[in-house]
Amino acid sequence: MEYGKAEMMATAIIREIQDGQIVFHGLASSTPMVAMKAAKALGKDFTYVTLSDGVDHDWTRAPYVASTLTENTYTGSVATFGLDEIFDLFCSGKGDIAFLSCLQMDQEGRIAMSYLGGDYEHPKLRGPGGAGSATLTPVTPKTTIWKTQHDKKTFVEHVDFATTMPAVDKDFTVITPLCIFRKPAGEKLLKVDCIFPYTTLEEVKENTGWTIDQTSVPVMEPPTEEELAAIKRVDPNNILGFEFK
Amino acid sequence: MIHALRAGAYGIPFMPVGGMWGSDLIAIRPEFFQIMKSPFDGTETVVVNALVPDYAIIHVQEADIYGNCRILGPSYQDALMARAAKKTIITTERIVGSYRMQEEPKLTSIPHFLVEAVVELPGGAKPGICYPEYQAVEWDKHKAYQKAVKADELGKYADMMLEGRL
Repeated sequence: MEYGKAEMMATAIIREIQDGQIVFHGLASSTPMVAMKAAKALGKDFTYVTLSDGVDHDWTRAPYVASTLTENTYTGSVATFGLDEIFDLFCSGKGDIAFLSCLQMDQEGRIAMSYLGGDYEHPKLRGPGGAGSATLTPVTPKTTIWKTQHDKKTFVEHVDFATTMPAVDKDFTVITPLCIFRKPAGEKLLKVDCIFPYTTLEEVKENTGWTIDQTSVPVMEPPTEEELAAIKRVDPNNILGFEFK
Repeated sequence: MIHALRAGAYGIPFMPVGGMWGSDLIAIRPEFFQIMKSPFDGTETVVVNALVPDYAIIHVQEADIYGNCRILGPSYQDALMARAAKKTIITTERIVGSYRMQEEPKLTSIPHFLVEAVVELPGGAKPGICYPEYQAVEWDKHKAYQKAVKADELGKYADMMLEGRL
């Protein structure tokens, strides 16, 4: 079965999720939504929470729009658990993974979500806010940023206004169409953890705004037939492709 | 925002929040964020100023004429907003008899004494969604809405919507 960047990213997200974890994704998050449904289809035994209030919704219902606030992440839930309760859960140390995104990021994992260009009062681009990211990122054991663009406009040398940044004592992961960056607990800077099979470390370096001094990194195994079939099964309308048009 | 509304709902001046460390938002919004030490063990905590909105306007699936509200889909922070605001205005898909509330009082997430007014407004959340009444965004109308906001013609848009001319 063939795969592209979208399927590889979804597979990387699926592989982050372990049995027993409580996993959250944010608004307008079609990539982790499809990946988390596929992880359910593969039998991973984790708890799915998101802003729709739904807890472990019926993942067999296929998404039909890229919004993650529709009945698609609510119908068939076994409980309701609101965003306020999700914040409390993670702040009290009971959550595991939060899949979040960003406008821009630097090597310290400092994330721009509030604005780009200009200043706070007069931005060129006003972002979606990000107080949710600011709440969750420092307290979540494994904050995982997904970003469907990997270029020097996104991964920059220095973020001017950091809406949030990871805590030193927490793991922090970034999944892009080309690679995975990680900052393990105890460290401050992101390093390339692995690259995807269709790219090279050179291409990653060329498209990253900070200097990567690593000379060799592992290559992640491509998606298995089983993983690709699970993605296809939960996403017949190819909502996963939305971010990759 | 949630903690600021909680402070408003609890009638206290501010509220400690989890997370937020490392955010530049704290320094740029001192009127909203501050850092203080716990009087108990000295732990540093980010705190937010209380928010008491003048009005909360909330759309629900069912309300009775007294303002008792049943939110039958995701409730987000609607009940919290009703508790924090000075006055709450409810728009509802339909008015139901109070017997519905009496059958399942736990489903009444906003009780009547928090509510100033109830407006029966079927389709009131369109072009957005109101689970399970209508579950898909009407994108063409949503674009018309965005256009109206940018052109400062929201009144005209509302008239057209109410008259079914969109």
